[in-house]
Amino acid sequence: MARAAAGLRALRRLLDALYLAGGVIAAGFLLAILGLIVAQMVARWTGHVVPGASDYAGYCMAAASFFAFAHALDRGAHIRVGLLLTALGRHRRWAEIWAMAVGAVTATFFARYAVKGTYWSWKLGDVSQGLDRTPLWVPQLSMAAGTVLLAICFWDHLIRLIATGDDGIRTEQAEDRPAGPR
Amino acid sequence: ETWDMPMAYAASNFHSEVGAEFARCVGEATGGALEIVTHPSGALFGGAEIKRAVQTGQANIGERLLSAHENENPLFGVDSIPFLVSSFDEHERLWAIAEPHVAAALEEDNLHYLYSVPWPPQGLYVNKPVETVEDLKGVKFRSYSAATARMAELTRMVPVQVEAAELSQALATGVAESFISSGATGYDRKVWEHLSHFYEVDAWLPRNAVFANLDAWTGLDEATRSAVGDCAAKAQAEGLERSKAYTAFTVEGLKEGGMTVGRAPEGLVVGLKAIGETMTGEWLDRAGDEGRAIVEAYRQGQ
Amino acid sequence: MEQLAPIAIFLFVLFLLLGSGVWVGLALMGVAYVGMELFTLRPAGDAMITRIWSASSSWTLTALPLFIWMGEILYRTRLSEDMFRGLAPWMARLPGGLIHTNIVGCTVFAAVSGSSAATLTTVGRMSIPELRRRGYPEPMVIGTLAGAATLGLMIPPSLTLIVYGVTINESITRLFMAGVVPGLVLAALFMAYVALASRLSKSFAPTPEPALSLIERLKAARHLLPVLCLIVVVIGSMYLGYATATEAAAFGVLGALALAAAQGSLSAASFGASLMGAVRTSAMIALILAGAAFLSLSMGFTGIPRGLADLIAGFDLSRVQLILALLVFYIVLGCFLDGISSVVLTMAVVEPMIRAAGIDLIWFGIFIVVVVEMAQITPPIGFNLFVLQGMTGHGMGFIARAALPMFLIMVVMVFVLIAVPGLATWLPDSLRQRPGG
Ligand code: NA
Ligand code: NA
Repeated sequence: MARAAAGLRALRRLLDALYLAGGVIAAGFLLAILGLIVAQMVARWTGHVVPGASDYAGYCMAAASFFAFAHALDRGAHIRVGLLLTALGRHRRWAEIWAMAVGAVTATFFARYAVKGTYWSWKLGDVSQGLDRTPLWVPQLSMAAGTVLLAICFWDHLIRLIATGDDGIRTEQAEDRPAGPR
Repeated sequence: ETWDMPMAYAASNFHSEVGAEFARCVGEATGGALEIVTHPSGALFGGAEIKRAVQTGQANIGERLLSAHENENPLFGVDSIPFLVSSFDEHERLWAIAEPHVAAALEEDNLHYLYSVPWPPQGLYVNKPVETVEDLKGVKFRSYSAATARMAELTRMVPVQVEAAELSQALATGVAESFISSGATGYDRKVWEHLSHFYEVDAWLPRNAVFANLDAWTGLDEATRSAVGDCAAKAQAEGLERSKAYTAFTVEGLKEGGMTVGRAPEGLVVGLKAIGETMTGEWLDRAGDEGRAIVEAYRQGQ
Repeated sequence: MEQLAPIAIFLFVLFLLLGSGVWVGLALMGVAYVGMELFTLRPAGDAMITRIWSASSSWTLTALPLFIWMGEILYRTRLSEDMFRGLAPWMARLPGGLIHTNIVGCTVFAAVSGSSAATLTTVGRMSIPELRRRGYPEPMVIGTLAGAATLGLMIPPSLTLIVYGVTINESITRLFMAGVVPGLVLAALFMAYVALASRLSKSFAPTPEPALSLIERLKAARHLLPVLCLIVVVIGSMYLGYATATEAAAFGVLGALALAAAQGSLSAASFGASLMGAVRTSAMIALILAGAAFLSLSMGFTGIPRGLADLIAGFDLSRVQLILALLVFYIVLGCFLDGISSVVLTMAVVEPMIRAAGIDLIWFGIFIVVVVEMAQITPPIGFNLFVLQGMTGHGMGFIARAALPMFLIMVVMVFVLIAVPGLATWLPDSLRQRPGG
């Protein structure tokens, strides 16, 4: 019993760390976008060229989005229409479970095809059409990894919601939010 | 059966109009057994995705600028070797030799080649009069592909990478001062608002190709396939005429807009041809025996 | 009307998923999936990924997270506080007071950013806390922001006008010029509304600002210097040709970092917090964009938007009737699609109608932009509503109601455009008289 509880706590820490790591990796890619765009500008002013810079910036854009999906869900940044949830009052829990379950299924669908699409880019040897000549499966790994992480994150929150009645989503810094119920 | 046909260019572009006519032809010739619905303006898939989408059956048929896929197979860029051909007629001669090779390359990618139509010849837009390649030195030149970047290098222009969506703004603010494209692009984008000269250097004539998913194609019965093939042949002939007519029309339009339009001066032509030699050599290195065979067959016929 | 069944199914699934609290991006994906499965034989999942990958890895999109990051950095500096300290003595006496900063701020920022989400987050991050602190009524703060941020699409540069221009082969430069005057007129209409509403509303009672002499007011104006510098650097970089529209966002981030450093509010902690905040907000928007891209693909396959446009084409309407029919058409479409998708999916049918009716295509571009702007603030799918929900925590209903007056003002703007077409066509026409080159 105690060992099971300890195992659960370790799993909890691992998952939380994974979501945060996704966010941090995404932040790294946002910094990379800034770096690439500045490099491209400086190169142009000085009569040079950074081959494929705008393509790489595009890949970084995708990575900055996909890697952060799970982190954004975990911290309550993704939005939804809360009208019905609020109206349901104490029956709210069932609607929460429904929404989380639909989210989990859709995210799993998303992840399945993201992995498949990336696999096929590799299998077909798809190469980007720009100056960069990147094999497309490499940047698409961010899509595969990010959507899988999002799906895991949804199932994690769904299980927590069913088991404990609390989905565990913790909204970041509410200091500038208005008082009263959200 | 209904086939959705993603196309990258606007509905009023002549390629899209030829495509729409082809779709109509197929509908009539097959008595409605096969209906093709065109989706211009990248409404289903953007240009960059169309080949992959048709390859994997996400759409059964589509149109794409073939040379954009040169990174995958140098043969797809056979229509875009700079200064190898310099007129519609020469280009058609080259294409007659290359077409079966390209069709075979497409078949390897699970695509059945139907027809293709050339864009008007690519000319040089620049913000000042130019006599020789020397005059181009230091001009900010829009590069958007490996070939255009290499060309900037060889002409000692300053390459600036500008995406199509930002071309007008880049010209307006002086980020770019020169680029290579067809008279059609300049006419559509009203380039005379920013640049003064258009030199008809006929650098190359890229083609838009229409292809079908191979599995969907072999799934059609014999009669339908032959009807589609007839319509494709008609579209290719019709498209070539439209392209020629449109070239004359847009060049006139550039003049009316206030640009100085004309054939490139002798000095510029000689310099560009030399650069073309270099770049043809480089393409042959990449394209291997098959590419070499095509170019040699073309040169022998000259 | 063969379209009726698919439309009904789309609407049912959309309201079911969105209404029951499914996260917006995933709800859109769900709707699109149902549409694909029911109405085409194409593999839904594979087509979805093709479309989503190209929508998510686009280079033009990179300006969005950068501008959001810039907003996050500025939010953590004293810049907005300073700016309001400088502005308050001058503007507090105006009817509507500092609410006008929302509109002016969005108008100025619109000259840098081509998207309305970037305009909204950057301006809102700075103005919302300050306006709240001064006791301005919340619906007015939120509503004006939602409305004015749409100017990002009208005042050049504008993503919508670029897409429209490429779709119909019009000069993007001329379209950009055409947007300037209507953009300013629309901003003026917003400000007139604020002035009027502040006088009529009983709940409009902001904390009074202390009365200052002219000298004191001039002294307070020095606080405006940093923000003016930032604006000049970002706009200047673009109009002087040092940066493209996308690159100007990088100038914005660097400028904001420099300002934060100069004020001493830049620490490792605040840098990290701003970066992570930007990452979360852009991920939120990116997920919705991904869902919207798939929905647009699904709509394209079903042919609903084209079918409806065809229907209008069949009515044989007069010029004004046609414009009004298209107004209603795009407002309805705008409830469910983002503006750019509405344009791309329908222009093949609408363009010939417009040309046949002899309507000026430059003018029509501005018309389309106003209508697309409305789409940003109409539920159930309105981007500005989503972004504001993420930023303020208010519910969708509250935000949509707050934005309703702005929506009506845009309807008025359409009629102004119909009555005075010169608003859009005068500037590009008069500049065309110049000799070419
Ligand atoms: Na703008
Ligand atoms: Na809307």
